[in-house]
Amino acid sequence: MSSAENFFENNQLETQSKHRKLEHLLARADIWQAANEQRRSGTGIASGFRSLDALLSGHGWPRGATTELLMDQTGVGELALLLPSLARLTQAEQMVILVTPPFIPYAPALASSGVHLEKLLLLHPRGQKDTLWSLEQSLQSGSCGALLSWQGQHSLEDKDLRRLQLAARNGECLHFHFRPLAESANPSPASLRLQLGSDGAQLAVKLLKQLGGPSGQCLHLARPANLVRRDQPLH
Amino acid sequence: MLWLCIQFPKLPLEVLTRALDKNAQTGALAVVEKQHIVECNESAGDRGVEPGLSIATACALSADLQLLERDSEREQQQLEQLAQWGYSFTPVVSPETASSIDNGDSRPACLNLELSGCLKANGGLRPLLEQLQEELKLMGIGSIMGLGHSPSAARMLSQLAEHRQWLARTHSAPSPQQWKQWISFSPSKLLDCDNKTIAKLYACGIKRVSQLLAIPLSEVGSRFGRSFVDYLARLNGSRQDPIPSYQPPAQFESELFFPSPLDNSEQLLFPIGRLLRELCQQLQRRQLYTQQLHWQLDFGQNQRKAFTVEISRPQLEPQRLIALTKLQLERHSLQHPAQALRLSCKKLHPLVQEEMGEDLFDEGKRDECSHQLLDKLKARLGHQALSGIALKESYLPEQAWQSADTLLLKTNPKKKGHQLTPVKAARPSWLLPRPSKLQGRGHKLFYQGELQLLQGPERIDGYWWQHGRHGRDYYIAKSEDGCLYWIFQDLTSEEWFLHGIFS
Repeated sequence: MSSAENFFENNQLETQSKHRKLEHLLARADIWQAANEQRRSGTGIASGFRSLDALLSGHGWPRGATTELLMDQTGVGELALLLPSLARLTQAEQMVILVTPPFIPYAPALASSGVHLEKLLLLHPRGQKDTLWSLEQSLQSGSCGALLSWQGQHSLEDKDLRRLQLAARNGECLHFHFRPLAESANPSPASLRLQLGSDGAQLAVKLLKQLGGPSGQCLHLARPANLVRRDQPLH
Repeated sequence: MLWLCIQFPKLPLEVLTRALDKNAQTGALAVVEKQHIVECNESAGDRGVEPGLSIATACALSADLQLLERDSEREQQQLEQLAQWGYSFTPVVSPETASSIDNGDSRPACLNLELSGCLKANGGLRPLLEQLQEELKLMGIGSIMGLGHSPSAARMLSQLAEHRQWLARTHSAPSPQQWKQWISFSPSKLLDCDNKTIAKLYACGIKRVSQLLAIPLSEVGSRFGRSFVDYLARLNGSRQDPIPSYQPPAQFESELFFPSPLDNSEQLLFPIGRLLRELCQQLQRRQLYTQQLHWQLDFGQNQRKAFTVEISRPQLEPQRLIALTKLQLERHSLQHPAQALRLSCKKLHPLVQEEMGEDLFDEGKRDECSHQLLDKLKARLGHQALSGIALKESYLPEQAWQSADTLLLKTNPKKKGHQLTPVKAARPSWLLPRPSKLQGRGHKLFYQGELQLLQGPERIDGYWWQHGRHGRDYYIAKSEDGCLYWIFQDLTSEEWFLHGIFS
């Protein structure tokens, strides 16, 4: 009799421990579940563009993950794509770090789009080693709301990208990484990969990869009307 | 009140010979000032050399006597350090410098500590006295101590051998009755007055203080003067005995010498940790903090290397400071073996409650995190790799921003002064460090393809009142591949430049 009871209890314990293991597994951010789709939606940070949010699986930029932005030409409106979310982060007193920006971020333009300049930090490390170190430290510090980095002359290796992605997850930081378009052929551990280009007066966004969501869609975002409006110039 | 007087009779000799190995056989040594012996070591003393002798007599007694010039400045420094050491036990400390030899009588340097307020914290009188003696012994400084109800009494009793014997055994402070007994028992030569007065006392047959106290004060006054009566009153406690109180300076300096030079920066970590712990202990005790650590490595032969670690927030944890220093140290390589390491903090600031940021809520913690991150980045990348940006009032686009110090990050958002507002007109988010010249052919402009002007001109004409005029017509231009640029035509040279990118 008692042995039968024991057997039952053992069985129960076993199923319980199995259940717990499964729960552990399911709690991982990098496992996509169709059943969780409802719960997951809304975990992202709103980009400020409704049509883009609709395409992204978290209805916004993926939190605590790397987003790769692939493009060849600056000036297509890539920073304007990020500015609304950056402005909201700085207004919430979160630090935004730019690591090795290609040009000078122009204060009047940033201020007029709502970015609190005192929360903005520019980093110019010398050399690849220091750059990677400062990227990782800043991402995992937990004090940085968003980090923008530009790939220099050296292409980052896969293991470095993986480390950065991990650091962003540990520090709950939005990481935007700008890379040349040629890298789109190489696989990347980033949660979201977007290809940016121009289509006349519009910014063309193509989803190359999205964790837990469909990819391949194209999107056209209009540039601000006061920029592309055509006057009759004197020349 | 319970005053402890620690006298340092051998200080002139000890400051000069402290660095020498105690066990090593040293010859006869004597410190001289103005042709007279001030202090001598044991082997010189064995041959009959004693303080007060002239150099000629001393050399006659001991032919191989080595003479050292007295270094009063170094003595003063040592006394200052001893005062700081004493300050770690009690807040009421008063150092007294030694008198120079030409005043006739020579009073050794001494330190007065008020103990009644700190007995409890240090575990009672006996443990405190033992600790003081132990630490002095470790420092290699000889001392004699006396306990009294006023600094004058403590000073006098420290010279009384019977009192010192009692002090070596006592567990509790004596009663007022006992003070009186000690004082009246002491010989009159221990009184703190000049040689002339003492000779006069002995001439009158007054050999003990008790005899002196038996005489009515008015008669003592008419014979020895008013100041002597004052001194007697201070001695037996009927009058206040004020002495200057010592305040430690608001800075920190400490140095470590390495007997064998260190050639590896890894090896430096241990002395660094030791100095930082010393600093943190002192800061904690005095409720101060520092924003900069100045490190200096001494390679000998006047070669030095200095570096500075900046700390944005009050930080009293040695581990964090060690980590920051380590990051900074990794950037430098040691060219030569280091012989000494010095840490100095020029300015110490008082800790204010809100600056500590000891906040239970999340907000404070994140703030703390960001300051730690900034310190780390600064330590590894150097100060110049970090910057912020800020608005500036100017007509010229390239002067409408400025590189701001990262200190801006910690300013309180509530305390904002005059706020600048950016211009309303369209401005590019990227600015080129300097305008780059555009290729033009006929009426067409080229920058990675042909440019098409969309809007303009917006005339910006700044500094026409100064020598270099900056008259420009700005346009928004679009390239063939859809990029938007901010370009201008210089009004004087009529050349076209690219100045910004609408990114």
